Amino acid sequence: MMEQTEEIRGEKSETRDWEVVSREDRRTVGIPFVDNPRMTCRNIDVYYGDEQAIQDVSVDIGNNEVLSMIGPSGCGKSTFLRCLNRMNDTIDICRITGEICLDGMDIYGGEIDVVPLRAQIGMVFQKPNPFPKSIYDNVAYGPKIHGLAANKTDLDEIVETSLKKAGLWKEIKDRMDQPGTGLSGGQQQRLCIARAIAVSPEVILMDEPCSALDPIATAHVEDLISELRKQYSIVIVTHSMQQAARVSQRTAYFHLGDLIEVGETERVFTNPRHQLTEDYITGRFG
Amino acid sequence: MNNKTPDSSRQLIQKKLARRYRTEKWFRRLGAMAVLISIAFLGILLVTIVGKGSSAFQQTFVKLDIHFDAEVLDVKNLSRANYPGLVKSNLRSLFPEVKGRRDKKKLYNLVSNGAAFQLQDMVMGDTSIIGRTKSVWVPASDDVDLFFKGKISRDVVESNRRIKDIQLKWIDRLQTENRIEKRLNTTFFTAGDSRDPELAGIRGALSGTILTLIVTLALSFPIGVATAVYLEEFAPKNKWTDIIEVNINNLAAVPSIVFGLLGLAVYINFFGLPRSVPLVGGLVLTLMTLPTIIISGRAALKAVPPSIREAALGIGASRMQMVMHHVLPLAMPGMLTGTIIGMAQALGETAPLLTIGMVAFIVDIPGSFIDPATVMPVQIYLWADSPERAFVEKTSAAIMILLLFLISMNAVAVFLRKKFEKSW
Amino acid sequence: MKRKLAAIAAAAIFAVSAGSANAARDYVSVVGSSTVYPFATVVAEQFGKTTKFKTPKIESTGSGGGMKLFCSGIGIQHPDMTNSSRRIKKSEFDQCQANGVQDVVEVKIGYDGIVLANSKKTAPFQLTRKDIFLALAKDVPDPSGAEKLIPNPYKTWHDVNPSLPDTKIEVLGPPPTSGTRDAFVELAMEGGGKNFPWIKAMKKVDKKRYKAICHTVREDGAYIEAGENDNLIVQKLEANPNAVGIFGFSFLDQNSDFIQGSFIDGVEPTFEEIADGKYPVSRPLYFYVKKSHVDIIPGMEGFLEEFSSEKAWGEEGYLTDRGLIPMPDAERKQMHDDVKQLRPLEM
Ligand SMILES: Nc1ncnc2c1ncn2[C@@H]1O[C@H](COP(=O)(O)OP(=O)(O)OP(=O)(O)O)[C@@H](O)[C@H]1O
Ligand SMILES: [Mg+2]
Repeated sequence: MMEQTEEIRGEKSETRDWEVVSREDRRTVGIPFVDNPRMTCRNIDVYYGDEQAIQDVSVDIGNNEVLSMIGPSGCGKSTFLRCLNRMNDTIDICRITGEICLDGMDIYGGEIDVVPLRAQIGMVFQKPNPFPKSIYDNVAYGPKIHGLAANKTDLDEIVETSLKKAGLWKEIKDRMDQPGTGLSGGQQQRLCIARAIAVSPEVILMDEPCSALDPIATAHVEDLISELRKQYSIVIVTHSMQQAARVSQRTAYFHLGDLIEVGETERVFTNPRHQLTEDYITGRFG
Repeated sequence: MNNKTPDSSRQLIQKKLARRYRTEKWFRRLGAMAVLISIAFLGILLVTIVGKGSSAFQQTFVKLDIHFDAEVLDVKNLSRANYPGLVKSNLRSLFPEVKGRRDKKKLYNLVSNGAAFQLQDMVMGDTSIIGRTKSVWVPASDDVDLFFKGKISRDVVESNRRIKDIQLKWIDRLQTENRIEKRLNTTFFTAGDSRDPELAGIRGALSGTILTLIVTLALSFPIGVATAVYLEEFAPKNKWTDIIEVNINNLAAVPSIVFGLLGLAVYINFFGLPRSVPLVGGLVLTLMTLPTIIISGRAALKAVPPSIREAALGIGASRMQMVMHHVLPLAMPGMLTGTIIGMAQALGETAPLLTIGMVAFIVDIPGSFIDPATVMPVQIYLWADSPERAFVEKTSAAIMILLLFLISMNAVAVFLRKKFEKSW
Repeated sequence: MKRKLAAIAAAAIFAVSAGSANAARDYVSVVGSSTVYPFATVVAEQFGKTTKFKTPKIESTGSGGGMKLFCSGIGIQHPDMTNSSRRIKKSEFDQCQANGVQDVVEVKIGYDGIVLANSKKTAPFQLTRKDIFLALAKDVPDPSGAEKLIPNPYKTWHDVNPSLPDTKIEVLGPPPTSGTRDAFVELAMEGGGKNFPWIKAMKKVDKKRYKAICHTVREDGAYIEAGENDNLIVQKLEANPNAVGIFGFSFLDQNSDFIQGSFIDGVEPTFEEIADGKYPVSRPLYFYVKKSHVDIIPGMEGFLEEFSSEKAWGEEGYLTDRGLIPMPDAERKQMHDDVKQLRPLEM
């Protein structure tokens, strides 16, 4: 791990031919916008009560791309992610200003119903949170409430493909009626991923999906992400820069509520243009 | 802190360790002592109640050879016939030597007033009996019953004894003729209240309790759960909901008599519902149990981890679906516990029932929600307050039935809770 | 949704029951005194078991509470009769009139003796009402003879009256909410207070103070409020031979093997002495009837007839078995006639 970071830094230091933005400047560097975006976020501010957690963040999420968000703990990654499917609505003291659009539609607009929106923009949480129900019911719940399956065979098929995609099928296919809470931490997280993709969302938000997984399961999930990218847009929060490098096309670096730098993953890791980004990926911060 | 060497830290830890274990040991001892004391008190309670009350399940009966005299029993007017006369003439024929009004009265007092009612029921049930002679076991009077159960001693001076010497002689003779014996007291389980201890039963109060609790449960559980869910999951958090919350918490501590007064004012005086009926009793007890159910329900809802809510919302469940499918099932065991505590409270209440007229002498067994009725704790209270000493054992027996009722209610709750817990 | 359903269900239950249950009441509804309760219930049971009518419902609400319910109006939602261990007060009677309860029939059913009893393990007390007053009043006349009150200094019965035993004054009695207590302070304590001429004279001048002197029971532990439950007092007397208990005669009657009544003014509380009117601490018991209900409520006439029959309240009646002290023959006959004709009370 350390070695790889060293390598990136070594490469960059030789070839630097631009001026690095100073630590005090909190404007976003890099190109936050893409052509033909799936989601657009403009001037997002988020407050928890009087505390501001996100300041003036603007960024796009493209079609069929994985955007990874990195940054030190407490910098607002989860907060920002949760704005994207209006999960923050459930927190009373949380207030959001700015504009977030999905396919050009303002998701905070008056005519938008959060219930179908959240089916469209699925989410996998930082901590695995399966329902205290059977494995089958965990995955089948979403399709059931949204009426995605015409009959039982349909539903069985959805459950099976979702579990297969999440790489869990082989392990649990014989004990579908056992409680989901009885699985190991990593299995639970994959179950949650299966649950999220069972409703075929168009955008998937993942908050550190691999933090509880072993390297094998992590590899599995990463494969899944690459697979899912063919159909969906994915936003992933991660603390592992290797993971960000492996799965994402673009990377956004957050620092104390500011979006500091965003750009092609490779470029951000090899040639960070902001001093803070550089500090972070070289391990001088956090 | 940081300048401590590992060695000195270890010493400090060791030093403190002994004290930490000591406090733990003391805490455990205190806990065990508390448990022991409660068990001892429970034991004393049970022993005294069972000791006093178990004899109530038996009753002394006297065998009479009744001649159902067609002269006395006019088929056209059976309900007005002189049934006590039948009993009396039979007693006289058993002891022909008894003369004089006073002695005869003592003789008649050997058997219960219920004997006449029993004969009446027999004749009304089967008129073909008229004209024949039949042996009938009729209940003995309460004093004879107490004597037979050893609660009145022969050794006391006659003037101080409720069974007189002459009566003792008669009883002894009945015993040698095998005409008197203790039997299972089925009346206690089948009859309503009576002022004659030997005829009094718990059935009326039991039915009243069941009817009242059905009303209470049917109203307080859904309303309580719905209120808890609304307040916890849907209501905006503002001044008004704060006020409501404070009020609900206060209501839980209001003396129960207040609910009785409220029930009197609202249900009886305003809505014009009848007095002394299980419906009104249930409504009043609903008012009383609701705060308990709401508070415990909200606590149970709060205890459901937020991650479950987020999981449900995250895949697009509506709030209602989140609550109904995930939160409520998880909170249900806690809510059931609260409900059972509330119902157990309701089961033991007498004070709020006083003002709505359920502290009453009611002989007929209630069959519907609008028949006059009383409940078990009221029955216990009324019996405990009766001058006749034979009611002492009935009181304890009624307490035993009440405890059994409570235990079975709790058993059902435990069963339901297990069931709910299993399903996830 | 669920809430709405519950609300609708509740409303429906209201409507149905309010409609059907009160449309007709087929049983007599009686409220009132807990002292009369043991007697009224026996009559009710007898009546219910020997006739085709339902057993009357007897609530034990206390005399005052019963009057309030009784006088709250005419109609089947209001009780038909109320029992009372004292006479109806003028204020209550006026309340009745104001609420449309015009014709109230007063029926005296007999007497109840209030006894001071102790365990048979010791000798019976020979008390006078003056002794009782001095032993139990909060403030008593100065023993020096001056016309002023001092806080009750007496610790033992011997202090009160040298002829009494040298045991601590320990009296178990009912709380102020009880009718028995009312009657006790009025008959026994006031009767004793009157023995002091200057207190007696006060009745005309300052009735309030007179009552306060005679009716206030000491609170220094000599008088122990033992609750409304007379059985409890009886049990405590068994356990504590030095204590004296105050309760109704029927409890003495039922427990004569353990306890004995104290002589008061030389009279023993026996059935005969109370019936003769010789025993000083006895009170009449009543019930009151709404005349206008008699024709409406099924069984009411029969119940009144049963109550006032010789086999119930007569000298040999079943109520006397329960400890009711019957009225003299003439008074009984008079009362029976009053019931028959439903002669309304005038005040
Ligand atoms: N519910 C909340 N109420 C108040 N403040 C909150 C809440 N959730 C987060 N915050 C604050 O918002 C800021 C950003 O938190 P957030 O959870 O987004 O951090 P993060 O970048 O996801 O950190 P991590 O990498 O540790 O998960 C933090 O300062 C945190 O204290
Ligand atoms: Mg986070």
